Amino acid sequence: MSPAAATHVLVVEDDPHLAAGVLENLRAEGYEATGAGNGEQALTWLAKHGCALIVLDVMLPGIDGLGVCRTLRERGDSTPVLFLTARGDPADRVRGLEAGGDDYLAKPFHLQEFLLRVRAIVRRWDWYRSASATAATAVLRFGDNEVDFRAFRARTWNGEAQELTEKEAMILKVLAEHAGEIVSREDLLERVWGYDVFPSTRTVDNFILRLRKRFEKDPANPRHFLTVWGVGYRFLKEGEA
Amino acid sequence: MKATRVFQLTALALVLVSAVQVGWWLLDQHAYTVEKVQAARASYAEQAAAAQALLDAGVSVARVEQLLPSIVVNDGRAMLAPQLAQALTSEERRRDNQYAWEGSFFLLALAACIAVIARALRAEARVHEEQESFLALVSHQFKTPLASLQLSLETLALRAPPPDAARPLIERMLADLARMELMVTQILESARLERGRVELKAEALQLAAAVARVILQLEERARSGQVAISSEIAADLNVVSDPLALDVVVRNVLENALAAVPRGGNIALTAQRANGAVQLAVRDSGVGFGPADGARIFEKFTRLPGGGNRYGTGLGLFIVRRLMELSQGSVTAHSDGPGKGATITLTWPAAAASTVAAPAAVEATVPGVEAPGAAGMAGNVTQPRASLGESRR
Repeated sequence: MSPAAATHVLVVEDDPHLAAGVLENLRAEGYEATGAGNGEQALTWLAKHGCALIVLDVMLPGIDGLGVCRTLRERGDSTPVLFLTARGDPADRVRGLEAGGDDYLAKPFHLQEFLLRVRAIVRRWDWYRSASATAATAVLRFGDNEVDFRAFRARTWNGEAQELTEKEAMILKVLAEHAGEIVSREDLLERVWGYDVFPSTRTVDNFILRLRKRFEKDPANPRHFLTVWGVGYRFLKEGEA
Repeated sequence: MKATRVFQLTALALVLVSAVQVGWWLLDQHAYTVEKVQAARASYAEQAAAAQALLDAGVSVARVEQLLPSIVVNDGRAMLAPQLAQALTSEERRRDNQYAWEGSFFLLALAACIAVIARALRAEARVHEEQESFLALVSHQFKTPLASLQLSLETLALRAPPPDAARPLIERMLADLARMELMVTQILESARLERGRVELKAEALQLAAAVARVILQLEERARSGQVAISSEIAADLNVVSDPLALDVVVRNVLENALAAVPRGGNIALTAQRANGAVQLAVRDSGVGFGPADGARIFEKFTRLPGGGNRYGTGLGLFIVRRLMELSQGSVTAHSDGPGKGATITLTWPAAAASTVAAPAAVEATVPGVEAPGAAGMAGNVTQPRASLGESRR
């Protein structure tokens, strides 16, 4: 990603007033901001450009926001997505996050909260990118597994090629940075999600289960992703004896 | 609402149980009759056998017939009296017949009850569902202008921009407010139309004059959007309609066309007579729509992909359809496809030329002046939209 794209935000919103307001505020905060009026436009733009964040309205004419997000993820584009929606019930939130969204804001929203969330997502990804910038940090080897943080791909001990979701990769990154230390669930939530998007730390547990299933030879008796009861997790590169 | 439902479900359960009971009762009665007739036949057979034994033992025929009155002797053979055998058969038939008629009457009555209750329940469920989706749609429609309003206000509060920079924000907020006001009006109006609580007059009106009046009001907007509106309507075409309904319908259709047409586009109005009716075709060079959307655009809150009217409430064309239905007319939409423009055709019953109000009276109702006897409908429905159009520039 070019340095310019690192502060570029794409705003996909079909209401011209709301779009104008969001764009102006993002520019005032020092972001470069581009607007798209519908899903097709957004996907076309994204095929040619990179950006640090997509602010995506859920109810769009034509392909809706969830569809745009799903299409992006299928393309292998891991650009973070902040959903804006008129419906804010929990089921909708879950749907947005399942489609591959990073965060969710219900309309009408507070400007300050919106800007805070944008900053949090951009900062999180800045950290992830800079933490995977060098040849040494871009690849993690443990057990017989190999993880490529930049490509969101992994080759596991049994030779299987795996695609990692952004969240899985981020959790892995946090754990790897603190290999051998105890990382609490709250820390993981804060570093990877940054906000109260998910209602509980149970989500973290589910992601750890998924990582174990991918990388442990015997997921029931993990040697790399260890549970520290009542606190969190400890990651061991070499594997527990 | 809830108590009614409980009552209906209880009634349905009772009726169902009754139907089952009637069915069971019928089977039981039939079985009982069969059993009784068989028992009688068996007893007669025994009597006949006894009579035969007596005859065989040398008892005289007269004595046997006296001892066993149900038995007759024929050629030395004892048998059941034919009238008794016949009575038995006809009694059996009579009872079965009775059960069949009475039973089917009861079952029919019960089935009718079940159908009525089930229908009521289904209708209620549908109304409930419609209300739910209506509420969901309304709240969604309101949340976007609300979000925009809040964003603009918070921007003003956060950044305290100089007056020059604040101006567009304020204009945006005014437009958002106008849009919400229009939505409230249109929602109430469409609810009223839906319940059929509108009394429309049936007057003979000159179509050309009514259309010209609406065009005059939208001229400024068309000019600023560089859209050419042309109208070719013969002066002798007259329709039967409520004057306000005609005004609202033509205006909504034209505003819709204006929103769909890009800069430099055009809108053409033509009219013709067709089988006792008058048709007004409004053809635009706008965004058009797909083949499947021709009927959908007249439904509530329909927004089509790529549709131009981002400020629309999704109620304009719904109101048009209802008003046309109430005016004994109809409305259809046609497009050759997305990007290929659209034609909305309005059809009214034709009026005889002699019954039409003098053109002078029509001229008197120029833009800005409420039509005589205006019930407020046209004014309320359209004014906010007109001001919205101005602020859009």
